[in-house]
Amino acid sequence: MRRYGIRKTIRSVATIGIAGAASLFAYSSAFAAFGQPGGVTDEARDMHNLYLVTLAIAAVVFLAVQGALIYIIIRYRRGKREDMPAQIHGSNIVEFIWVGIPVAIVLALFTYTVIVLNTVERGADEDDMSVHVQGFQFGWEFTYSMDNLGPERSEAGSDEEFSIVGAGLDSPELVIPVDERVEFQLQSDDVIHSFYVVDFLYKLDLVPGRDNRFAVTPRETGVYQGYCAELCGVDHALMRFTVRVVEQDEFDDWVEEMRGGGEEAVSGASDTTSAVREP
Amino acid sequence: MATVAAPGTQAYARPALLDWLTTVDHKKLGILYLYFTMFFFAVGGILALLVRTQLAVADSSFVSNNAYNQIFTMHASAMLFLFIIPVWAGFGNYLVPLQIGAADMAFPRINALSFWLLPPAGILMFAGFLVEGGSANAGWTAYSPLAQQSGSGMDLWIISVIILGVSSTIGAANFMVTMFRMRAPGMTMFRMPIFCWTMLVTAVLQLLATPVLAAALTMLFIDRNFGGAFFDPNTGGNAILWQNIFWFYSHPAVYIMILPGMGIISEIIPVFSRKPLFGYKAFVFATMAIGGLGFSVWAHHMFTTGAVLLPFFSFMTFLIGVPTGVKIFNWLGTMWRGSITFTTPMLFGIGFVSMFLIGGINGMFSAVVPIDFAIHDTYFVVAHIHYVLFGGSVMAVFGGFYYWFPKIWGRKLNETLGKWHFGLMLIGFNLAFFPMHLLGLDGMPRRIATYSESGWEALNFASTVGSFLIGVSMIPFLIAVVAAFMRPKDQPDDPWEANTLEWGTTSPPPVYNFDELPEVRSERPLFDRRHPDLAGGGH
Ligand SMILES: [Cu+2]
Repeated sequence: MRRYGIRKTIRSVATIGIAGAASLFAYSSAFAAFGQPGGVTDEARDMHNLYLVTLAIAAVVFLAVQGALIYIIIRYRRGKREDMPAQIHGSNIVEFIWVGIPVAIVLALFTYTVIVLNTVERGADEDDMSVHVQGFQFGWEFTYSMDNLGPERSEAGSDEEFSIVGAGLDSPELVIPVDERVEFQLQSDDVIHSFYVVDFLYKLDLVPGRDNRFAVTPRETGVYQGYCAELCGVDHALMRFTVRVVEQDEFDDWVEEMRGGGEEAVSGASDTTSAVREP
Repeated sequence: MATVAAPGTQAYARPALLDWLTTVDHKKLGILYLYFTMFFFAVGGILALLVRTQLAVADSSFVSNNAYNQIFTMHASAMLFLFIIPVWAGFGNYLVPLQIGAADMAFPRINALSFWLLPPAGILMFAGFLVEGGSANAGWTAYSPLAQQSGSGMDLWIISVIILGVSSTIGAANFMVTMFRMRAPGMTMFRMPIFCWTMLVTAVLQLLATPVLAAALTMLFIDRNFGGAFFDPNTGGNAILWQNIFWFYSHPAVYIMILPGMGIISEIIPVFSRKPLFGYKAFVFATMAIGGLGFSVWAHHMFTTGAVLLPFFSFMTFLIGVPTGVKIFNWLGTMWRGSITFTTPMLFGIGFVSMFLIGGINGMFSAVVPIDFAIHDTYFVVAHIHYVLFGGSVMAVFGGFYYWFPKIWGRKLNETLGKWHFGLMLIGFNLAFFPMHLLGLDGMPRRIATYSESGWEALNFASTVGSFLIGVSMIPFLIAVVAAFMRPKDQPDDPWEANTLEWGTTSPPPVYNFDELPEVRSERPLFDRRHPDLAGGGH
């Protein structure tokens, strides 16, 4: 009698869960990714796929459990009944199942997490292009060195550099070529900042005293918004920047332009901050 | 059961004010805790409305960037340190001795000290607004080296949080001794009410974690004032060290803030389902598991620092989701095949399960490290913490208020007003916090004083409307409280047909709590007394 009741309930809860999940998939195809952009780098696309899988699992769990809750409070409301329900203190089978289900989900998701994590965090090769990112209160300086612009462009041994500085409302733009692996070397000398490019689906902190770096391969040209994501003081909200991903020959032209750009483009390090900061 | 005057109390009659100021009665101290914490809930709520007003539209200049940083820092500090952590101490103080059948806490004077440390701490923290440079403004996380730059309001904040830490550390010891040594005859550990169990695990967490926070804050104070070099790399310190120590406390602190809330709704749901808690022991072990695992997940707040072993902390974070999930099933199993009435406490209990479920699920996104790279420090995380701490803890606070109000004050809160309170709060809450998921996914960083993206305006505006609706939902609550106090104390011992010992004495209870103790043969002594035919089968 009691066993039969448990099975029946498990069956109806499962039915509701599956029906709910099906309707969610219909719903979510209309709403795409629930707000997460698709990502414009190889790494971001991997991470976005992981996100979609996680979202699907989350949706199923949400609908199954929320559905069960709603079903239970409607089905078992007291109403006019005054009888005492059976005093069930627990059920080993049921408790075993509901420990097992989360464990299975967790193990599957963790495995997938580690796989994606390894690709995202694999870093750059020796001769990949790199950009030095210096964060400061409250702006950014992006520095390119001529001996570090990838195998095609680099001038080995050159100590020539140029930078882009911007702060406050005058936010700087970081330019990189499409389809080429780029490493960002992040550094801060004042407080912690965080380099966050929304369409990279990635951020990494600039921690004073640490040498943090990450690499991406952008696959779509365009202008992407970036922010400082770690509270860094009064004008933290204004510490914005953009990343412009351009075709490779366009990037070559841009580099030449910047090299010949004279004083303004080669504007120095953070000691010019105060001048740049004025809106 | 008639109230019998305690022997000798008349001889020591004092003016009411003096009595409240010098009381060592756990019930009076519990009430003082509740008044104090509800006051700071209101203060923190007003600060939250200032935050939401500022963010309602793009490029807003309602408050300056500098003021904004102070406001959100103090919102979080008030809500976490002056409301949610001590409010559990308030419920615990009032209820734990009653629920285990004791006459008071083990150390009544230490108990009074725990409470009386709070008002000076609250005053010190908010005195920051009066000093030059304003209050603390580095976030409640006070990340270094940023926290080195703030004005002296930051020092006041540090001292205040240390004092609050002392209060909860000695309070924790008091709760532990009380529960280990003062249980009524027949009340084994596995017959303790679930709320007591969650208070016990919370006390253990506080005892182990809070001194670590005190140490970190002391180091920060030395750095700021005496030329120390713990956390500032420019003077040879390590910025990541602060985060490690801070989160070693503050992650367990998240469980300190939610476990007693889980305990409260685990008292409410069985009563209004007319069934015992489904899987009492599983629930207790899950609580212990959360407490234990809580010490191994701190670095999941630091996935983007580049300084932590990502897979380990990811795995531990996933793992802690399992006992959390078990609890949700415990509550569902309790209601399943029950006989459910939708009283106001039960509505808050159901609301807790429903909203905390979302807070658990959106938390899993952060455990998936590559997703966390995107959503860390965005509004997605703000949504997550509010689904846990508002959708969870605050729901439980109000559920507890409506449930125990007849016991504590001898009067019942109006059910209709209570339902309006619940309904408005549930709608306002979801309107305020659900859009934050979408804002975070779209890249809106947290803690920004302003934004220029027109695409974020609609969602932010909705969120602001929701936050004010939460404010409006407090009106029926306050009316219900005032109306209740205008009525005579007419509540019977056990208005809800409840299970636990506190309902076996008068409402409100006499100074010494019990004239006679009901027999304890299970975790539901009052149920057993009411239904001798159905008794047994428990623990
Ligand atoms: Cu910054």
